[in-house]
Amino acid sequence: MKTASGAFLAGALVLALSAPSTAATPERVSVTGEIIDSWCYLTEIMYPEGSAHHECALWCAAGGVPVGLRADDGTVYIILKIGDEATSVANPRLMKIQSHEVSVEGDVFMRDGFNYLVIDRVANDAGIVNLTHDDYGIQPSGE
Amino acid sequence: MRRSLSGFAFALTLVVPGLALAAESWGLINEETARFEAKVVDVLCELTGDCPDHCGAGTRQLGLLTDEGRLVLVLKNQVPFAGAAEELFDFCGRRVVADGLFSTNRGHKVFALQFVRAVPDGEWRRANRFLLGWAERNGVDPKSKEAKQWFRNDPRVKARIAADGRLGLGLAADQEYLNR
Repeated sequence: MKTASGAFLAGALVLALSAPSTAATPERVSVTGEIIDSWCYLTEIMYPEGSAHHECALWCAAGGVPVGLRADDGTVYIILKIGDEATSVANPRLMKIQSHEVSVEGDVFMRDGFNYLVIDRVANDAGIVNLTHDDYGIQPSGE
Repeated sequence: MRRSLSGFAFALTLVVPGLALAAESWGLINEETARFEAKVVDVLCELTGDCPDHCGAGTRQLGLLTDEGRLVLVLKNQVPFAGAAEELFDFCGRRVVADGLFSTNRGHKVFALQFVRAVPDGEWRRANRFLLGWAERNGVDPKSKEAKQWFRNDPRVKARIAADGRLGLGLAADQEYLNR
């Protein structure tokens, strides 16, 4: 028992030393909004929302640009994880819901001006409801 | 053989001998050129303590942790429509000099990586390794038109568009829109 306790303490010490010293405390959230491409949305290098931008958002997600969620109140979240999948580069699940209006539950970590979102559950997926292509064409060319 | 030589020649263009070119303007909103030292970190690891080997080896979003403790999320590399994980993961946990652009807009300051080298004296390389990796994964010459237009030829993108259309509203909606 003494050995087990010692091993446990040693293990805990190793974990404590290896974990980032700046690990943040998350805030539990339920958020509804549109899945977006973070680069196009935050730089506004083109029209970045809804059906007009869907194809470009797929390109960027496949290329590994961080996928985000723009909440109805305008807050932008960077998605780092969805469900059990910690892959946030070209994640097929995120590509499948790109540009969709979703409601999600998860944890938010705020750090240096960004809201990083770890999604536990997609509670609702309404598909693409932001129909922007009549006004903006298909981005980036606008055809 | 021809493909191998071509790939080798392309690989050479990834390394910039001598001094790096200064970051090139992209005309971004509130754009600032920047060169700074930082440690390459896996953002999810940094925030939660969930830390796989090699920062996830290209599967996770990476950041640059400055000496002041500021976490800089890297959104872009130099390749159209591509991010920076593939440019940085082999520097995981190491210090680099990052050269690129900040853009401040919509309340966020984002970073695009254009060049990177290891500290203290690594060779500068362009942040365009994504293209070489994509070409290798898809069995094409990295200098080919197909690779340069990787986003139109990516099988994952093509599969999604085949399923949902370019507008994401179904193939019939695409047809109706394009007919108009």
